[in-house]
Amino acid sequence: MHAAVSDATERDRDIVELLRKGNRDRAFEELLRRYEGKVYRLCCALLRDRTQAEDAAQESLLRVWKALDRYDERASLSSWIYAITRNRCLTALEKRRPMDSLDDLAEEAELGLPATGEPCDGRAKQLLSLVELLPERLRRVLVLYYYEERSVSEVALMLGCPEGTVKTALFRARAALAEMLKRRGLDDPTYWQEDAP
Amino acid sequence: MTEPRTSGLDRALDEALGRAVSTPELPHAFRTRLNAALARTSDSDLLSLREKMETERRQQLEELQAAYVRVRRGTLGTVIGVAFAAGAAATIAMPWLRAHLGAYTPLAITWGAVALGLGMVFLDPLRSLLRRWSDAG
Repeated sequence: MHAAVSDATERDRDIVELLRKGNRDRAFEELLRRYEGKVYRLCCALLRDRTQAEDAAQESLLRVWKALDRYDERASLSSWIYAITRNRCLTALEKRRPMDSLDDLAEEAELGLPATGEPCDGRAKQLLSLVELLPERLRRVLVLYYYEERSVSEVALMLGCPEGTVKTALFRARAALAEMLKRRGLDDPTYWQEDAP
Repeated sequence: MTEPRTSGLDRALDEALGRAVSTPELPHAFRTRLNAALARTSDSDLLSLREKMETERRQQLEELQAAYVRVRRGTLGTVIGVAFAAGAAATIAMPWLRAHLGAYTPLAITWGAVALGLGMVFLDPLRSLLRRWSDAG
């Protein structure tokens, strides 16, 4: 994770510089431009609900704004922002009624509905319904990995864990998916190719 | 035979997941709503700051008022105490003074009281002057 953290520190050097000069407004403007999408995607991956994710992302960014003066550079700016976001999502998850959310998710998985809510073809629906059946820690890593254009380091930063852990989770998630496909007789690679009939 | 099929499946699965797990787009009004929330927060921050300052000012005024009353009581007490003490001292010392000063006794008592009063008035300024001299030294 050290390489990812130092990359992230380098990436946000200009924002930190603006903060040191006391230019909080410009720093936050730049921070928003760089992180609002990522914060929203992290919330989507953790909460599985677009409306709640939007609320959580808004509140996280508000907290970042309020606490920006107190940012002490002990962690990289991105790690700090992601930690605030994760905490906000955890609070939202704790507030949810566990039985309701589990029932909803199970129903979604049974129906083969995509958790992302985007229109997609039958095979994508099948695949997403299987992704929903993965254990939560594997599902969120897998989903974030594709949200973040296959960047293991970014996913590690977002979830606050080492890159090795992300890689292991990805490996296990893919293995579990392959196993599920095999059990359903869907393990023919040609079936999953884009131009397959 | 299984190995190529598995790696082929992995590749195909990776591509299929890349297509299926679509990146959620930021809602259109996200920034507008965030800016509105930020403005509300700033307003409420200013409001709470103003309330806090007003409360602090009220507390300071109350403390000053209480200190003023305390000082007034103290001063009054001191004045009464000193007056009684002076009267008592004068009564006790009167025979001795008459014996030694004779007709000058009332004048001596008056000048003594004046000297004591002036001493009390100038005691504090004299003390601070001495402190300044010792600090400078």
